[in-house]
Amino acid sequence: MIGTAIFKIGEEVGNVGQFGRFVWRSAVTSMQSIAKSDIYPLIWVQMLAIGVRSVPVIMITGAFVGMTLAIQAYDQLAGMGLEEHLGVLINISVVKELGPVLAAVMLAGRVGGALTAELGTMKVTEQIDAIESMGTDPVKYLVAPRVLACLLLTPVLIIYADLLGIIGGWFVSVIHLHINARAYWSFSANGVELYDVVCGIIKGFFFGGALAVISCYKGFNCKEGARGVGQACTDAFVMSFISILALDFVMVVIFKALYSIFWPIRSLV
Amino acid sequence: MIMNTEQQTTNNGQQSVKPDDGLIVLKNLTKRFGNNVVLDDISLAIEKGKTTVVIGPSGCGKSVLLKHMIVLMRPTTGEVYFKNQRIDNLDDLSLTGARAHFGYLFQAGALFDSLSVAENIMFPVRQHCQISRFSAVEELVRNKLKMVGLDGLQHFYPANLSGGQRKRVALARAIALDPEVILYDEPTTGLDPIRSDVINELILKLKGELGVTSVAVTHDMKSAYKIADRIVMLHNGKIIADGDADYIRNHPDLIVQQFIKGEISKKELEQLRKASASSAIRLPCDIED
Repeated sequence: MIGTAIFKIGEEVGNVGQFGRFVWRSAVTSMQSIAKSDIYPLIWVQMLAIGVRSVPVIMITGAFVGMTLAIQAYDQLAGMGLEEHLGVLINISVVKELGPVLAAVMLAGRVGGALTAELGTMKVTEQIDAIESMGTDPVKYLVAPRVLACLLLTPVLIIYADLLGIIGGWFVSVIHLHINARAYWSFSANGVELYDVVCGIIKGFFFGGALAVISCYKGFNCKEGARGVGQACTDAFVMSFISILALDFVMVVIFKALYSIFWPIRSLV
Repeated sequence: MIMNTEQQTTNNGQQSVKPDDGLIVLKNLTKRFGNNVVLDDISLAIEKGKTTVVIGPSGCGKSVLLKHMIVLMRPTTGEVYFKNQRIDNLDDLSLTGARAHFGYLFQAGALFDSLSVAENIMFPVRQHCQISRFSAVEELVRNKLKMVGLDGLQHFYPANLSGGQRKRVALARAIALDPEVILYDEPTTGLDPIRSDVINELILKLKGELGVTSVAVTHDMKSAYKIADRIVMLHNGKIIADGDADYIRNHPDLIVQQFIKGEISKKELEQLRKASASSAIRLPCDIED
């Protein structure tokens, strides 16, 4: 029993070390690849698959987040006679938290799952070995374009989610709940700062990088067979989801501390 | 190297090798996966310009041995040499140069699904050569496909090819850079006898025309006898027989004889018959018609 437990702990520590090395290697290779134009066609292909094809689902997610927030918050604010402040609550929630996090979670499911399944299948059919056997670094050829595409496009997709979240919130608040449009936008403009929007977009770089590296790692270390690929996809999503939430927490703490240093007083209403 | 009859390994005789004994040298190679020892202190020197065939039962470590030759796997202990230079301790970047001298035919072809036949064959060329004229690469692809008898399939995708065609395209890709060494992992597995013979002829043709050094892993004895200058048999992670085709045919070891004749041992046969008889016991449930 004790021996098995020690073996399992040793194995987990080994896995963490292996993951750390993979993250480091991916980061270094991706940074080096930026300077090499031969990788650009591979990045364009990934940008199309990861970015462009994710736009509809990200926009739908953003729109529903904004609309749902409006419905949920209206009664409470109306009870206090603050319904015209609904725009601040919706828009600040969307651009700071819900837009980036839900867009990233949606990407972890759509893009992360596809990356893991594709690389996992390549692994079990020896295509990754084939790349290596031909003297090509599979991390450079397969991982770097995907990581760079996710890094560059997740913030852009978050902007789309924010935009549609704002439009969705406006639609329900102004068109359906008949809040004065002028007051809605005026309070929103006062409450939401450029800093909030930028913080949300910066989160996108980290979320995108994390989900790409985790998905590629799980694909590269996929076990044999259909079950192995399925398990790798599940693991990749769970690990990406937890990483997104953990990174979000860490970044909120950092951004809040920075804000307190530069702008000590702030009120939402 | 091909040894004369006196030198040929008869029984568990692990020979000692030096890095300059062959083009590829495996020295005291051991590979473990957890507690499972797949290769146990293997020493083997592959002679330049010859075809060495590694035979052995399924799961005995033949493919693992092949992957060590190009360092797709790293040994638990032991050393791998290519052209007298140790390569198993090199990092992936440093291995790039050595790997460009190899072509590797994977068991299922390992063609890239998302690339066409032509793009698959161009892949190693694009990675290792500065291409000044695209027409030159197209010409190279046509030549390689002609060599394997598949000219005209350039624009097909792997999913549209039969098993035999996929293997031949994979072979065309493996020879795209005119490698010094070609490693074949089960080149005839899953093919009908005619297609198997086509692959065997291609292997002989490549040896004749390009003078390549080949290492093939197989359990197809017909193929082994046809293409091999030397046959090495693995069993339980060790080399139990090593010599030319005639030597292997007349090898005194019972395990070798059973393998090359494709016969089950009397003991295993008895166990199988007993198991068959016991499986005739009725199931503890009724199966509806």
